[in-house]
Amino acid sequence: MKVELKMPRLRPEMKKGVLCAWLKDEGDTFEPGEAIYEIETDKVVNQIEAEHAGRITKLLAEEGDELEPGAVLAEIEE
Amino acid sequence: MEKKPQWLKAPYNRAAVEEVAALMKDLKLNTVCNEANCPNLGECFRKHTATFMILGANCTRNCRFCNIHCGAPEPVDPEEPRHLAEAAKKLGLRHVVVTSVTRDDLPDGGAAHFAAVIRALHEICPGATVEVLIPDLKLNTHALDTVLDARPDVLNHNVETVKELYAAVRPQAIYARSLAVLAYCKKRNPDILVKTGFMVGLGETDEQIDTLMDDILATGCDILTIGQYLRPSPEHAPLMRYVTPEEFDAYKKRALEKGFKYCASTPLVRSSYRAAEAISAARGEQA
Repeated sequence: MKVELKMPRLRPEMKKGVLCAWLKDEGDTFEPGEAIYEIETDKVVNQIEAEHAGRITKLLAEEGDELEPGAVLAEIEE
Repeated sequence: MEKKPQWLKAPYNRAAVEEVAALMKDLKLNTVCNEANCPNLGECFRKHTATFMILGANCTRNCRFCNIHCGAPEPVDPEEPRHLAEAAKKLGLRHVVVTSVTRDDLPDGGAAHFAAVIRALHEICPGATVEVLIPDLKLNTHALDTVLDARPDVLNHNVETVKELYAAVRPQAIYARSLAVLAYCKKRNPDILVKTGFMVGLGETDEQIDTLMDDILATGCDILTIGQYLRPSPEHAPLMRYVTPEEFDAYKKRALEKGFKYCASTPLVRSSYRAAEAISAARGEQA
């Protein structure tokens, strides 16, 4: 099933986050609990873990992009 | 956004965070993890651990390092002790950490409520150890007795920073008073582990840290936590520097050489981070 991977809202008051690194490339698979990408927030860099197993089909956001919660980061297959 | 050093990384699992957050909301409970925007929230919630924050979400003090909202205090919820113990049971916690906002508006600072929470935990979660992270209660010894008589396993009160930075960082607190809280609790109940913690990166010097450790140790305190100050917003006390993991290792070595039974010292250590490990280690060394 094709799913959009979206910028999470890590805090209720979070307005934007910086995608600082992709830990997976297009075509890579991932398991639940595996970190897929990193977001920089006010205090730390959060390594965002996958909720389900899947595969990255297309990266849509680039490292360094500052994005609002809900912005599409990638297309994945779960 | 200011670039973070590569060692300040924390895992985040949305499903786990939402599950714990929903439980807290259902039982009308607050966590300091959430209110203080703790960087370890993702890791701790994934492990089904959380630090409860009682006596409302509004604090009567306005410390310059802290993200907790300063505002009009809320009515004390008499159901909170039972709800908290039920949540701890549902989460399967074997070590429960409870803190609070500071309630200078209450005659006992909230001590009786702390005691009610401890008793509820002993009743509903028998076998679980209980750690309370209390405000200074203005060094009201009757209030401290109330908390101690409920028999927490660990009594924690954070000194937060070196003496020289109190006016800038904790303007409504007093360095000597915080130390006196630790000393009083240890003297009155030597079998209860006493714990404190402080932040680095606020502009303190190595000599000031050394004196702080000596002053804490002189109170009889057993457990020490040291972590990096992380500025919650541009309105808070400025972050002067990021302390390296190697320097944190050196602080730990120094603390243990001085005689602390246990010291947790890494950039992301917070006073309740992996608290269960601290209690077993400190008890092991006591035996």
